[in-house]
Amino acid sequence: MENYYDLLSVLILLSSFVLVANKKTNAYIKTFRIQSAFIALTAGIMGWSSAVNEGKYDILIVCAIIVALKVIYIPHLLNKTYGNIEYRIEKDFFLNIPILIIICCGLVVFSYFSVSNIGTLTGFHINHQVVNSFSVVLIGFFFMISRKKAIGQIIGYLVIENGIFVTAMFSTHGMPFIVDIGIFIDMITAVMIMGIMVTRINVKFESINIDKLSKLKG
Amino acid sequence: MINITYLIVQIIVVIAIAPLVNGIIKKIKALSQKRKGAPILQLYYDLYKLLKKDTVVSDTTSWIFKAAPYIVFTSSLVAAMLVPVTTMLDPIWLAGDLILMVYLLALGRFFMMLAGLDAASTFGGMGASREAMISSLIEPSILVSLITVGLTAGSTSSYQIMEYMKYVDTPLIRPVYFMAFIALFIVTIAETARIPVDDPSTHLELTMVHEAMLLEYSGRGLALMELGASIKQLTFITLLANIFIPHDQLILISGVGAVVLSVLIYVIKIVFISILIAVAEVSTVKLRLFSIPNIAALAFILSFIGFMQYFVLGR
Repeated sequence: MENYYDLLSVLILLSSFVLVANKKTNAYIKTFRIQSAFIALTAGIMGWSSAVNEGKYDILIVCAIIVALKVIYIPHLLNKTYGNIEYRIEKDFFLNIPILIIICCGLVVFSYFSVSNIGTLTGFHINHQVVNSFSVVLIGFFFMISRKKAIGQIIGYLVIENGIFVTAMFSTHGMPFIVDIGIFIDMITAVMIMGIMVTRINVKFESINIDKLSKLKG
Repeated sequence: MINITYLIVQIIVVIAIAPLVNGIIKKIKALSQKRKGAPILQLYYDLYKLLKKDTVVSDTTSWIFKAAPYIVFTSSLVAAMLVPVTTMLDPIWLAGDLILMVYLLALGRFFMMLAGLDAASTFGGMGASREAMISSLIEPSILVSLITVGLTAGSTSSYQIMEYMKYVDTPLIRPVYFMAFIALFIVTIAETARIPVDDPSTHLELTMVHEAMLLEYSGRGLALMELGASIKQLTFITLLANIFIPHDQLILISGVGAVVLSVLIYVIKIVFISILIAVAEVSTVKLRLFSIPNIAALAFILSFIGFMQYFVLGR
């Protein structure tokens, strides 16, 4: 069982690398959907084992919410926003893709050396999964600052959220139900507001390039 | 005695199976396009026909042009010797390991590039420079992934690694091996001039890489080059099949029967991995030349994450 968790944590990390290597906005959304599907699978396996062993069904409900929200609803919402705007491909990066990927490698090494020494995390496998999922958080931050368009930054925010959620899930094997629900409500509000904002920015400035927001418009 | 048996089995199996892989991949591609396609054994017929034909050599070429097919063929055959098709026979006489294999293949490629430049055709020089770029980009991920697997096994000899992997319980669900497997899969696609990197079915197109270097060859030289390329492809597929999907621990008998059974299962695995490669080739499009660094970076990342998982798990 722990081997499957290991593999899933690595696959979640890998999907965030694939995200960094992508250029097209719809590929971002597709990769985010795949990453969320991996998270839902992890939650499903965890929920199944806790339902069988302890008779608790809350993680299975969380899994259903993840499928409904992150795999179906939010990508759909982003696709709708993507349909409204003009930019299809992110052309101008601050750095080129191989350098971005090598910096992300550095982030993985950093999180290995910082997280693996935390004493309170007990257990060999949990430690290893937390290293991977903490790297997802850092890569999400980095993705957010490496993209200039607003829709890429929304995806970055969602990846950070995914990373935090997975870190919590791997280190506790199921948080209190009310905390999970709170996180989801926060996230969905944020995404809806940001979706509306992107459309508004596009209408006002005829572009979603956030560099243009620093110029005054009279 | 048993070492000579190993040598004979290895040479026969490698030379007999290598063109089959191309046939299977071509057949699946044709079927996916609703065509009937060439027969699976087409490359065998082509090679037989080419070996009977005369060779035409340009006046302006030097000895490199004539020597290159032999060097390409022998270097890839020797590299294939270093990757056993079956671990039932013990290759004690082998002095080389996986690092030697990688650089023997690089030697063959170096001479192929020289031969492409030697005839001074425009296509040859273009193909050679592209091949140099792709191979230098893809080399780190081969070495990192193979050395990661080697670190877990405690040896860089492919036979030792295969012996170790026999007793690892379900290798492909372990993160280290899973990452190394996918990295080597991408490497295989890039090294054997398959579709995201180079289109093997192009001939006389501006995007060709591997074909561009072989344009000047005819007759026996072309046959040796083609066979050398397909042996190189089989070597990588053998690495994937025998390291990550070990099968010899399932065979409980010993002696001649065990070797035959082992080779049969090996052929089934090769067919399976060829189908995987064909599916990967059908479902992607050819990348722009300047997007190849991205896919090479992805392959490097896969092997690097595998290496980090070894670090995290191994301590």
